[in-house]
Amino acid sequence: MPELFATLSPQDWQAIRLTLKLCLYTTVILLLLGTPLAWWLSLSHSKLRTAIQAIVALPLVLPPTVLGFYLLLLLGPHGAVGSSLEQLGLTHLAFSFSGILIGSVIYSLPFTVQPLLESFRRMGPRPLEVAATLGAGKLDQLFSVILPLCRGGFIVAATLTFAHTLGEFGVILMLGGSIPGETQVLSVLIYDHTEAMNYAQAHQLSLGLLITAFMVLFIVYGLNRRFEREVPI
Amino acid sequence: MMLAVGLTVKRGAFTLELNNTLPLQGITALFGRSGCGKTTMLRAIAGLDRHAGAEVQCGAIVWQQGSLFMPVHQRRIGMAFQESSLLPHLSVEQNLLYGFKRLAKQTDIQLKPEQIIQLLELAPLLQQAPEQLSGGQRQRVALGRALLSQPQLLLLDEPLASLDQQSRSEILPFLQRIASQTGIPMLLVSHQLDDVVKLADHLVLMHEGRVVSQGPLQQQLLQPELAAIGAMSLLHAKSHGSKQHLLKLSIGKQQLQLPAPLHAASVEQTAYRLRILARDVALSLKPLSESSVSNQLQVSISGFNSAPHPAETLVQLTLEGQPLQALLTKQSLERLGLQIGQPVYAQIKAVALD
Repeated sequence: MPELFATLSPQDWQAIRLTLKLCLYTTVILLLLGTPLAWWLSLSHSKLRTAIQAIVALPLVLPPTVLGFYLLLLLGPHGAVGSSLEQLGLTHLAFSFSGILIGSVIYSLPFTVQPLLESFRRMGPRPLEVAATLGAGKLDQLFSVILPLCRGGFIVAATLTFAHTLGEFGVILMLGGSIPGETQVLSVLIYDHTEAMNYAQAHQLSLGLLITAFMVLFIVYGLNRRFEREVPI
Repeated sequence: MMLAVGLTVKRGAFTLELNNTLPLQGITALFGRSGCGKTTMLRAIAGLDRHAGAEVQCGAIVWQQGSLFMPVHQRRIGMAFQESSLLPHLSVEQNLLYGFKRLAKQTDIQLKPEQIIQLLELAPLLQQAPEQLSGGQRQRVALGRALLSQPQLLLLDEPLASLDQQSRSEILPFLQRIASQTGIPMLLVSHQLDDVVKLADHLVLMHEGRVVSQGPLQQQLLQPELAAIGAMSLLHAKSHGSKQHLLKLSIGKQQLQLPAPLHAASVEQTAYRLRILARDVALSLKPLSESSVSNQLQVSISGFNSAPHPAETLVQLTLEGQPLQALLTKQSLERLGLQIGQPVYAQIKAVALD
C-alpha cells in the first residue's frame, strides 16, 4: 500500500481531501436534518407521511443524472434559487462546493432516514412514556433514552451516509462538473483519469476507494449485528 | 383527595364517555372486560394521550381543562405498565433512581431509596441488568422506580397481567404493602376479579365505555355483573391472635376460627379481609351440631338475586351489618321456606385470608 500511495499526485490528494470534506459535511448536516424527519415519520399517521416517505426514497430509484439535472436547473444562474441568490449579490450554486453539498444531502437522505426510522420504530413509544411519567421532559428524553437506545441506528445511519456520499458520481458531475479543489471529488477524478487514458492513476484511486468502501460496510454490518443483540424487548 | 375525570373518546363504533369523580384513598380498581375503556381512561389521567375537551383534576390541581394541558412529566404520578417497562440500557439501580434524580429540589422526599429497596426487597438485584430479571422482579423494580418519583397518585395498568400465576402471587403482597405503608393512593386497572378482590378498597365497574357503578368493594361485590363472574363476599374481621395454628377472628359479636397463615409477617396483623365464595356458604334454620363445619354464623336474609345458572339463586345475607352471599339451589330455598328478614345460620366451608 505505501508504494501505491507514494505515487499519488497533488491533484489526487486534493480530490481525496475534498471528498472527505464533502462526506463529513453531508453526514453532519444529514444527521441534524434526518433525525427530526425520521422521528416525525415514525410517529405520524397522516397522509402527508406517505408522500414524504416516497420523496425521501426517490434518490434510491431515480438515476442520479435526473436529480443532478433538476438541481442544476434550480441552483444555476437562471434557476429559482440561483437567480434569487444572484439578486442578493451572492453567486449561484451550480459548479460550486455548496452546490454539490446540497446535491449530496438530497442524494444520501434515504441512507440517513431509513436506519434511524427503523431504530425509532424498534424502540417504540413505551420507553419515552416511562421516562415522561418519571419526570423527564422532551430534551431529557432525547439524551437519556432516545440516543442511548437508538445508538446503533445513529452509527449505522452516519456510516452509510458517509459511505454513500463517497460513491456519489452522477449528481456531482451534472451539478458540479470537475473543478479541482471545488467539485472534483474522487469518483469524478477517476472518471477524468480514465478518459485521459491514465489507467494506472485511475486504478490506484479506484482500488483505494474499493478497499475503503468495503471496510466501512464491514464495520457497519459488524455494528449492526452487535446492536441488534443489544436492542431491547 | 378526589380525582375528577371528564372524557369523551370515539373510536369507530366504540364510545368512551366518562364524567366521574373517584376517591383517591387506598386502592381503587377500574374493573371491566378488555376493551371497555379502562386503559384509555388511565392514559388520559396520566396525560399520555391528549383528548380534546377532556378534563382531569387531581385534588386541587387541574391537569387538563380547555387549552390547559399539564405535560406528563410535570404531573406528580407514578405509573406501572402491563409489560416490563424497565429502561433496557440502565441497570436496576439506575432504573430505580431515574425519577428520583429528576425530582425538583424543593420536593418533599417521603420515600427514600433505602426504604423502597427494603420494602420491595430489591437489594440483591441492584447491580443486575433488566434482562437478567424475572417478570415478577421487573415489575417490582418498576413499582419501586415509580414510588421513588414521590408520586401523589400511582397508576397501575394491569401490572400483573403479563405475569404467570407464581410471579403474580409474589407481587400481590408487595402491592398490599405499598398501599398500607406508603399511603399513596393507587388506581389499578384490571380485568381479573381475583386480583381486584385481593387488593382493592374501592371498585369502579366499567362496561362498554361507561362507569356502571362505583363504591366500596364490599358493596360492589353484590352487583349482578360481578356475581355473574363469580359471586363472592368480602368480610372485614378483627384478629385475636392464634392458638395451636388456629387464628381467632371476630366479626362484631361473632367468632370464627381459621387455620392461621404460616408466614411470619402475619403474626402482628390485627385486621383481615376474608374472601368467601357464595358457593362455599350453606344455610340452615338451626345451628348444626353434628357437622364438620365449625364456622357457623348467625345472619339474616336481606334479599334474593338471580344467579347465572337457572336452577340457582343468590341469597343476600347480613352478618353484623356486613353483606354476605350464599349460592343455593331453588329447590333448597323452597324446602327451607326462606323469607326476607328471617334469621338463619350460615355455614362457611372455605375462606381465603388477606
